[in-house]
Amino acid sequence: MTEPRHPPAILAGVGYRNLRDHSLGVKLADELGAKRLPPGVEVQDLSYNPVAVVQWLEAMAPGDRPRRMVFVAAVERGRSPGTVTTYRWDGTLPPEARIQRAVEDAVTGVIFLDNTLIVLGWLSPLSEDAEIVVVEVEPEDEAFGESFSPAVASAYREVVDLAVGLSSGRRSADALPLAPLGGMESGSGPEK
Amino acid sequence: MCFKNLPIEFDAQGVPTLKEGVADPYGVEWRGSEGVPRQLSHTDVEELLKRNGHIRSVDYDPVTRVAGALAFHSVADLEKREVLEARSVATLFRGYEIIMIGRDPRDAIFITSRACGVCGGVHSATAAMATEMAIGCCPPPQGVLVRNLALALEFMYDHPLHLFLLAGPDYSQSIVEATTPSLWEKAKKAEAPSAEIHGYTTVGEMMADLNPLQGKLYLEALQMTRVAREAYVLIAGKYPHPQTMIPGGMSTTLTLSVMNEMYTRLSRFFDYSKKVQAFWDDITTFFYEADPRYKEVGGRRATMIDTGIFDLPDAYDATYANAAEWGDRRWATPGVIVDGELVTTDLHQINMGLEEFVEHSYYEDWAGNGRPPRYPEDEKGMPLSPWHPWNKVTKPRPQGQDWKERYTWDTAPRWDREAMEAGAYSRLWSTAAARKLPENPFIESRGDALGIELPRGTLPKLEMEWKVPDTWNAFERNRGRAYCLGFTTMVAMNNWLRIMDRLKDGDTKVSTDFEIPKDERIGVGFWGAGRGYLTHHLVMDRGAVTNYQILTPSTWNASPTDRWGQPGPYEEAVLNTPILEEFDDPESFQGVDILRAIRSFDPCMPCTTHIQSEAGMITREVNTCACGVD
Repeated sequence: MTEPRHPPAILAGVGYRNLRDHSLGVKLADELGAKRLPPGVEVQDLSYNPVAVVQWLEAMAPGDRPRRMVFVAAVERGRSPGTVTTYRWDGTLPPEARIQRAVEDAVTGVIFLDNTLIVLGWLSPLSEDAEIVVVEVEPEDEAFGESFSPAVASAYREVVDLAVGLSSGRRSADALPLAPLGGMESGSGPEK
Repeated sequence: MCFKNLPIEFDAQGVPTLKEGVADPYGVEWRGSEGVPRQLSHTDVEELLKRNGHIRSVDYDPVTRVAGALAFHSVADLEKREVLEARSVATLFRGYEIIMIGRDPRDAIFITSRACGVCGGVHSATAAMATEMAIGCCPPPQGVLVRNLALALEFMYDHPLHLFLLAGPDYSQSIVEATTPSLWEKAKKAEAPSAEIHGYTTVGEMMADLNPLQGKLYLEALQMTRVAREAYVLIAGKYPHPQTMIPGGMSTTLTLSVMNEMYTRLSRFFDYSKKVQAFWDDITTFFYEADPRYKEVGGRRATMIDTGIFDLPDAYDATYANAAEWGDRRWATPGVIVDGELVTTDLHQINMGLEEFVEHSYYEDWAGNGRPPRYPEDEKGMPLSPWHPWNKVTKPRPQGQDWKERYTWDTAPRWDREAMEAGAYSRLWSTAAARKLPENPFIESRGDALGIELPRGTLPKLEMEWKVPDTWNAFERNRGRAYCLGFTTMVAMNNWLRIMDRLKDGDTKVSTDFEIPKDERIGVGFWGAGRGYLTHHLVMDRGAVTNYQILTPSTWNASPTDRWGQPGPYEEAVLNTPILEEFDDPESFQGVDILRAIRSFDPCMPCTTHIQSEAGMITREVNTCACGVD
């Protein structure tokens, strides 16, 4: 008897290249993509049109689609720079006008984690029991450049460990809050 | 004689020179073109706003369902149902001209691609062409053909996106029912003339499927963007920023297998184009019949410009000297149309008439006051204005917004000092009018129309005809763009067939070797975006870029009012737009007619832009609320 095949968990970076802190997701995908990771983890740079991300998932047979996706990105939410927020996305979608805006941004080339998640939620290519985990970092600096600000640089290793741990299952996501986009308010919950 | 306003005359051999005896040939003493609506002075508008409750500021910041950052300020008289003031605001500065200085010209292919998240490939191709002209390198035939094919596929991504995701919802049930209930009642009963092609019995059903997020047409367009993108990456490597564009061709690998994969995707556009064209025919007809005043929505003079696109390998030699000849033999003919008449197809004349002004823009002027231009003439000795892109210096000067002074990051490009619009439809119009198409089985230029034969798919073979319209407005822009989908599909098919013919003969060479020279060189890429006209003007010296100027379709369309009081195309179209929306009180007014006028241009304000100020590089998008500022 053959063992049932388990689709890999996807560890996905989202961001812009050469935009200092906003390159966090891309840099993480580049770095981990070149490393040997625990079995069952596949690294992807999903820094492109979220509609195309959905179509990439739809191209897989339903049974091959990931059951867990861990997204890593720098997102401005007014927290203190370098703050790491981790949560399981509860799948709540915003009002239709915001979804429409996310689709427009998607097809016209804007890269933004919230849009990726909204479009993913709206077109729902994943099975209902699939888990979406988000690791966000509050950026400090948005300018041309390859290096992180000190605040984000000091958080980076922790983000890598969290992302690998959560995608491989070595670290349980169950303890993370189930939250809407953005996770917990700054400083009000388990941010690691 | 194509120039009416610039002092350029032609001798018996057609050689242009500046008219003799004109002391300051590019002087700015001029009254502006006749027949162009003039804005009220902002002081007058302010007075009207104070004294009349029915005169309202109608501001959109941002204008949604457009690519990038556009704001629009207008003042409307809701009693007379007319627009009194219209100001187009590009809220972000594209710094690509500055970013490029000092770099290897080959970097332009990858850097300028980032000017747009939809049509990066067109910037890459235009940069490659500007560079190959400057360095003297011509692609081999397959390199020309495969570049044509790649960019046609990019347009096949772009057009459905605009027609059904961005502008389309303006004609959906959800918008029409909310803003013009009486029109919706008519639509529910109106029979769709082209039912046998698109499958809809009534216009109401068509509008329902245009509804955002749920409508079948909205969702189908998303799927078709996938088909086009898949075909594109087969030869371009990556979308939207291709990895295979190079001066002297492309670096892709051509095989029969790739071309077969391509065909399976390309052929899906045969039927889709039929449906899209028939669909927009029926929408346009319905609105015109329901209320003929819709012909005035977004109306302006049919005055437009296009560089042409898609070269013939046996004509294109990458030289400026022969640009008029190879331009004329393109699959889309270059052209300038003034008041509906094609006045030139000559790329030299198109280049010669270009100027960019900054009186109402956040830039310092670089010309005038006796300052000699760097290039008073091109390499053929044809005169160039001090405000020509090769002479332009980008000098950003961020400052407060003032409708009387400066209010946008866009410049005011003019050709022969006229405000030109650019679009997929300009390409269609000049191609139809010029009768210069290469011989082929699918597309025919008929002077007053363009015939497009779409091969059999699930639907039978169908010949459709885009007729040069007798009125120019928002609906005709959308209809033209719809027909441009079929046109582009068949340009792609023509190039696919030619590539296959050469592959059968074993020709897989797609690029020519080159070296970067160290002396001073200039070049220009004359190409086109899905949205129309695109040029990159390049100056290089010692192997590095010394000037780089990008002129995009939205630079033309979003232009501010110029120094002569001539509004830019968005502004002019909105000033001419009657307010047909049904509303009970001013508070419930949504401005759908104004938005239809603006969106019909397919605005694409470049994204991921960066503001250069004295304090350094700022990249955060700033909301530049246009409400009530002075």
